[in-house]
Amino acid sequence: MAMINPDPDAALVQRVKEGDVRAFEMLVVKYQRRIERLIGRMVRDVDLVADIAQETFIRAYRALPQFRAESAFYTWLYRIAVNTAKKALVDMKRDPVMTYTSLQGSDDDDETYRGGLEPTDGETPEALLASKEIAATVNAAINALSEDLRQAITLREIEGLSYEEISDVMNCPIGTVRSRIFRAREAIAERLRPLLDTRDGTRW
Amino acid sequence: MSLPDSDRSSSRRILSALADGDATDSEVARAFQSWRDDPDARASWHAYQLIGDVLRSDDLASEPAADAAFLVALRARLATEPVVLAPQPRMQEEAVAQPVAANASARTRTRWQGPIAMAAGFLAVIGVLNVAGPFRHGGNASLASNGAPASGPVLASTSSVGDGGVVLTSAQTKAAADQLAPYLAAHRQSAMSGPFQMPGSDLRNVSLVQPAK
Repeated sequence: MAMINPDPDAALVQRVKEGDVRAFEMLVVKYQRRIERLIGRMVRDVDLVADIAQETFIRAYRALPQFRAESAFYTWLYRIAVNTAKKALVDMKRDPVMTYTSLQGSDDDDETYRGGLEPTDGETPEALLASKEIAATVNAAINALSEDLRQAITLREIEGLSYEEISDVMNCPIGTVRSRIFRAREAIAERLRPLLDTRDGTRW
Repeated sequence: MSLPDSDRSSSRRILSALADGDATDSEVARAFQSWRDDPDARASWHAYQLIGDVLRSDDLASEPAADAAFLVALRARLATEPVVLAPQPRMQEEAVAQPVAANASARTRTRWQGPIAMAAGFLAVIGVLNVAGPFRHGGNASLASNGAPASGPVLASTSSVGDGGVVLTSAQTKAAADQLAPYLAAHRQSAMSGPFQMPGSDLRNVSLVQPAK
């Protein structure tokens, strides 16, 4: 069993530094939604949000050789996103609905902060419906899990505990933690997969 | 590429561990291969990350087609970017290098290490012989053998200088050792009484009492 890394992305980051662009794609899939939501708090235009998110990842990719892992990768990426959004707003001379200062007033680490965003013109009713359906499916699936699986995935994803910490909390070996989290993910993904089939021919 | 169910399950299990930063090095390598070759692995990675996001906040649920389109667009931009390569520590660099590259590198090192080590060895022997000139007397001694038996004369082990080290014939060895014996005896005596004596040495200090004239 490998040692638990303080930054769960350390292995992926290392591979990117070694020239493996696939590892960067995996990081993009992992953080794209969080980065877009962050930018969406600063910029109302959905089309602009996607562009700024793209620019954020490109900048991060270029700067990764200088990333010294003094903070978690996501913290570093978060700063790049904020700076990219600020620069885009200045360049395009647009007024942000929510300024960076007001954003700093909220808890930057609060993943559940919604920012009071209203649907914008770029979000179609179909897209909103699909998002709500996915959220409802995940929540229903987690409620259907056994207590052990639900506790394991909750401690990992919501509380952010490491496998070692979860093994202490649940009083079981780390291998069992790893297995329970995988089984929980698979049980939820099984319900989710019919919704995740891409409808426009785009494939992962 | 379609995988058997057991391989697919194993691949997903590894992706789950990698998502939490708990994959071993070999698992990480396998995960990247899956990501490259297996659409199911890519879809599973996305599903696991989406599940984590939704568990943290419902508003992170997004339309999957939008996520895929985002990656496709970014891939097109990444394709125009130079591949990033951060400087790696030497050990790590060798560990991740391709075998062919590693062999080529080793051959390059060997080419220049051999002659340099050989020249250094000759210079060391010549230097020691010059220094030992004033002490030439008879006698046997062992010289700096790394664990070699002290029963016969042995000249500095070459194991530490690699493949290009100096190897002397037994006759040369004996002659050199004979010449160096007095020098070494004087050196030892000096070292025992000097300020750089090693702590914990099993050598004892002795004092030489000069008779009064």
